Amino acid sequence: MKLIGTCKISKNGAFLNGKEVELFSSDTENWKKECYTNLNLDYSKFHKMDSLAKMAFLSTEIIKKEVDLSKYDENELTLLFANNSSSLTTDLKFINSYEVKGSPSPSLFVYTLPNILTGELAIRNKWYGENCFFIEEKFDVEFFLEQINFYFSKGSNACLCGWVESNKKNEECFLFLIEKNGKENIKEQLTTLYKQ
Amino acid sequence: MTYGSMITPIGSNSVENFSAMLREESGVDFVENSGFNNENWPLGKIKSLPNKNRYNTLLTEGCKQLTSKHGKEIFDSDETIVIVSSTKANLEDLPNDTFSSTRNILTDELGLKNKIVIISNACISGVIAINTAADYLQSNRYKTAVVIGIDVLSDFVVYGFQSLFALSNEPSKPFDKNRKGICIGEALGAVILTKEKINDDFHVEYLGGSSSNDANHISGPSRTGEGLFRSVNKSLERASVKSNDIDFISAHGTGTNYNDEMESIAFDRLGLIATPLNSLKGYFGHTLGAAGLIEVISTMKMMENNTLLKSVGFEETGTSRPINVLKNNLNKEITTVLKTASGFGGGNASLILKKVQ
Amino acid sequence: MSDLKQTLKEQIIEQLNLEDITPADIQDDTPLFGEALGLDSIDALEFIVLLEQNYGIKIADPSEGREIFQSVNSLAAYIEKNK
Repeated sequence: MKLIGTCKISKNGAFLNGKEVELFSSDTENWKKECYTNLNLDYSKFHKMDSLAKMAFLSTEIIKKEVDLSKYDENELTLLFANNSSSLTTDLKFINSYEVKGSPSPSLFVYTLPNILTGELAIRNKWYGENCFFIEEKFDVEFFLEQINFYFSKGSNACLCGWVESNKKNEECFLFLIEKNGKENIKEQLTTLYKQ
Repeated sequence: MTYGSMITPIGSNSVENFSAMLREESGVDFVENSGFNNENWPLGKIKSLPNKNRYNTLLTEGCKQLTSKHGKEIFDSDETIVIVSSTKANLEDLPNDTFSSTRNILTDELGLKNKIVIISNACISGVIAINTAADYLQSNRYKTAVVIGIDVLSDFVVYGFQSLFALSNEPSKPFDKNRKGICIGEALGAVILTKEKINDDFHVEYLGGSSSNDANHISGPSRTGEGLFRSVNKSLERASVKSNDIDFISAHGTGTNYNDEMESIAFDRLGLIATPLNSLKGYFGHTLGAAGLIEVISTMKMMENNTLLKSVGFEETGTSRPINVLKNNLNKEITTVLKTASGFGGGNASLILKKVQ
Repeated sequence: MSDLKQTLKEQIIEQLNLEDITPADIQDDTPLFGEALGLDSIDALEFIVLLEQNYGIKIADPSEGREIFQSVNSLAAYIEKNK
């Protein structure tokens, strides 16, 4: 296994491979929008995404600044994501739409599943490979590495993985790209980069 | 792989369920005031569940069935891994974490030694969970992998599908010309995967499986069946099976126009247009995270009994490709079967099972 | 009519949770289902909710909406005609 790139984003900043990239002023309410604007992207679907999908999308775009993701076979790039709160933030907004605002909102309902973000990444990048979304108590490097190994042994040659969380206390995404060939101590690298 | 447990609107174990299905019983019935504007939607509701605490009650009951059937030893072993498939888990716990009660109940009831793996990947969760279980066994770290699929009815989910204009106002008719949409249901299904046979029950061999994204739309299926086509091809390859070796398909078949049409296109592209298939959503409704499990268990029952169940609700071809949807129960020995699922997020998954001779 | 159009833009943003978009980003004749806003068939369903909640206009069949929801102009014209 070889660690190709990482991106961590939260309102505190964006970090590409451990180095801060100036894409928004930290602690602003609208940091995701500001980040999108400063990345000079033209992808109007972004504005409709929920917070999970926005963070996964932005992190992927930031990694793309350094890594050409199109080099991976469209069928063999695997997307493995996890969090603890599932789609909690959108779940509460959806409940609010019918309990307070008067009618269940279809565009919120479709985001009440955490794996929608892998669909957004697949659409944006034309990735047809395998996807899986796990609900985990906390970011667990060993669990991710175990899953990545499963997919590598089934024929995948790269995994784009992410811990992406959105709840009342916390909004963060830690994305990492791993290739099959190579022998590195990824566990330590990832643990350090996630804590950043 | 063998039977674990199965609780649905028409039965509280796999034998009861299969007899009810042979009698063409459907668990889908009108539920008063279930809609946002107090509509009476047809839903697959388990009548014995209490109004409150439905999820925890069902999960606890499912665990009790597992231990009474198989004993506690296979669950509290450190060579056992449990994988759960659920889309929404316990929504009654909102605004708090909806998945934590799952871990607590499973740990208490089954005495698990290892961490619990939870997969929440929309309607394909169940099939992916079985694929993941097979990965764990192949890694040789575990002797047993238990897969539990569960989801219960809630206003949240019913109002959501209602807001998408996806609900049918009559019991659903997958693949039929007059299909009107989905009926939501609730269920729990569990299977046990092991390297060796664990009892005298019927076992099937897991040959391979995969998933693939449509890369097209987050809630609408691909018009070309792209992801399903790619996933089935990958599963066939992994299982070292050709499409003409497939004797039967347990399809997804939700009863919506776009989904069922998409499946017919994918099966046509795969050379599976003449292969007998059914959708079991007419019996249980669409049980989301439980669907893959209860449909695999029902398919195993069909293999065990050499009887293919008809696709309840289907009368007349309603897809552009004339796939072979079963109108009547059929006595036929089947050896190799394909299970498919498709869902929100553009996900598609499939797996292939073979009768153990 | 121009008041109605301005209100509609605000309601569209609110209804569709387009948190990052402002009314100024939507022209009266911007195709609502084109690339500009990235809206799709699910959002068309939100327009049905919007018309019912704010203007008391019911659309029973989502396919009827296609022409009505083309732009803010066509939405406003439909509301004027049916309220």
